Amino acid sequence: MAASEKLQSLVDQMPEPDNRGTYGNMDKERIQKAVAEIHRGGRDAVVGLIEMLVEPGAGNDIKPRYALHVLAVHVCQLGDDKARAQFARTVASQLAGRPKGVQRYLIRQLQVAGAAEVVETLGQALLDPGLCEPAARALVSIGHGAADQLRGALPKVTGKCRLAVILGLAALADRNAAGAFKEALDDNDADIRIAGAWGLACLADAGSAGTLLKAADGRTGWERIQQTNACLVLAEKLLAAGNKAAATGIYTRLRDARTKPSEGYVRQAAERGLAAAT
Amino acid sequence: MGASRKADQGPPVGGKGRVSRRGFLAGTAAAAAAAIVPRHVLGGVYAPPSETLAVGIVGCGGQSGEDVRNYIGGAGGQYRVLAVCDVDTQRVARAVKSHGEGCQGYTDFRRLIEREDLDVVSVATPPHWHALITIAAMQAGKDVLCEKPMTKFIAEGRAVVNAARRYGRVFQIGTSGRFGAYKSSASRLIHKIMRSGLLKRCPGVWIQRGGFHIKPYCGRVGPKPEAVPPHLDWDMYCGPAPLAPYHPHRFGGSHRFYWDYEGQGLADFAQHYLDPIQWVWGKDDTSPVEVEAYAPPAHPDAAGMWGWVEMKYADGLTFVFDGGEWGKPYDRKAERRVELEDLDEESRNKVEAMPDPEPPRTFVEAVRTRRRSAGHEEAAHRAATVIHLANIAIRCGRKIRYDPVKEQIIGDDFANRLVNQPMRAPWHL
Repeated sequence: MAASEKLQSLVDQMPEPDNRGTYGNMDKERIQKAVAEIHRGGRDAVVGLIEMLVEPGAGNDIKPRYALHVLAVHVCQLGDDKARAQFARTVASQLAGRPKGVQRYLIRQLQVAGAAEVVETLGQALLDPGLCEPAARALVSIGHGAADQLRGALPKVTGKCRLAVILGLAALADRNAAGAFKEALDDNDADIRIAGAWGLACLADAGSAGTLLKAADGRTGWERIQQTNACLVLAEKLLAAGNKAAATGIYTRLRDARTKPSEGYVRQAAERGLAAAT
Repeated sequence: MGASRKADQGPPVGGKGRVSRRGFLAGTAAAAAAAIVPRHVLGGVYAPPSETLAVGIVGCGGQSGEDVRNYIGGAGGQYRVLAVCDVDTQRVARAVKSHGEGCQGYTDFRRLIEREDLDVVSVATPPHWHALITIAAMQAGKDVLCEKPMTKFIAEGRAVVNAARRYGRVFQIGTSGRFGAYKSSASRLIHKIMRSGLLKRCPGVWIQRGGFHIKPYCGRVGPKPEAVPPHLDWDMYCGPAPLAPYHPHRFGGSHRFYWDYEGQGLADFAQHYLDPIQWVWGKDDTSPVEVEAYAPPAHPDAAGMWGWVEMKYADGLTFVFDGGEWGKPYDRKAERRVELEDLDEESRNKVEAMPDPEPPRTFVEAVRTRRRSAGHEEAAHRAATVIHLANIAIRCGRKIRYDPVKEQIIGDDFANRLVNQPMRAPWHL
């Protein structure tokens, strides 16, 4: 089914916004029946829906937008992973060459219903500054196979994209990104340095303790607060993993080094950590 | 901020980081800072009852200052607002004026957080910022008053709890129903029965009928983007949420109607309803295990209509939100309390011999004694979890099963994506 009269008639069954522009009146059964019928239309129906989407503000695509999202949720409800993956592949195949606002919307639907079958497409999107950020979030949500894509993109991205990629790798606690996290600690951009510290904390690698403590000691204000938190989180993770010696080392250093009255709360946090470690 | 504003960017007077009311404010802020010595500088954990708490408020909209007035002033505490922050410079200017001499305005909360002279940060932003600012304040050694709902998604709540424990901070959610519930002997009895662990299977059913303002809180579908007003930092407003095209309906109270920032009337009101009820039913440390919603398919951006949500706990207790504004009303179960008669004689005697639970502690008392306040972080997180699970069931259109210990939805990777939602860089939990 292409963008046919039948598809249009199904899309027309999506609710009309009320006079406030909201979906205040909705017929659940009518919507579900129409969306199930669209799903039965297979790839052509999905492509047809996507063809109806426009850049926000460039026209009225309220109904096909809603229908595509309800379809994304519908394929997750079916318990049929083949059908879900087919939907996700179709959406991913339609990403290229569309207006940025449409591309971002499609990526959001991949975040809803995509899995390993779409990570390569999302990995490509990381290289587009206009799509990098939503693509990184979608990859983190998907998880499976996402770290390879993020790591692969890292040498090719800059600025905001690089930050999004590093934070994505941190969220996934990607051990293969340890080098990148350490490198980030020396970046000129404070946000990158904070992201690198967070990544190292997430890895729970005892070997990073000295590096993190040194990084925290050398900063002031917001960055010092964030870097110190990374040290405490690393200590907690090491303690939880049974590495008491490494955790104790971090806590002791923080307790002894943070002598300013305004950092008394850091000393107290370190003392609580030491008490937990003994 | 958005990645465009750097974390280490200083606050130039009159620039982006700080709102200046000419040189006057800078001078008076410094004078006020000198007049109020923050608790952590005094050292130790004890704060004298006469102490004036130095407060910073993030969020200068409709709720700004409410929690400070209610939970510090209303509990007999003294405070002084030394700093306010908002992404809207007009709001900041108004707030600075209203708080008077010595109050400094900011547009970047990080500049407020890194001040060393604040004891308490009050978070009165839209909910998508609540957890991040709360955690940041705790990381900087501040106690926190946080507007409800506590969080935008479940994982944020656990991160707040962890931060409170890590830094030994006091947290109070901006709702106080449990103070009233404690005064009721019937409520205390239910609490004791539930906490006794003597009830083998809980037949209790609590139903909140109406009061969610569902229809008025529906978001607009497909609003036409507009130009961002010059006084608003839209990128910073969106913060950890996706950078949506600006529309005034996404800002200034009606933000509640969009999934990016809140979870409509259910999120806006249910923490009020749940705060006393969750305490009464002894569920401050756990969550429902099964959640089912009756609702039409949700819109991806704009919150919309729903009928009811049924939530079951592991012990059989059932909570129900019956919106009463869409579809058929909830009719599966009738409301039911638990009573002493639900127990065998030996258990009844044990419950009757139990002392009353500890009275709820005010925020001021909690700050002074360094003990948990009544609306503490774990209780608030568990109440917010109920809200989020209800909204997840509405948005996913399927029954979900939840593990209250791992805090994960069981067997549904796709629904789990709403439990822990990746944030827009540079923000992260």
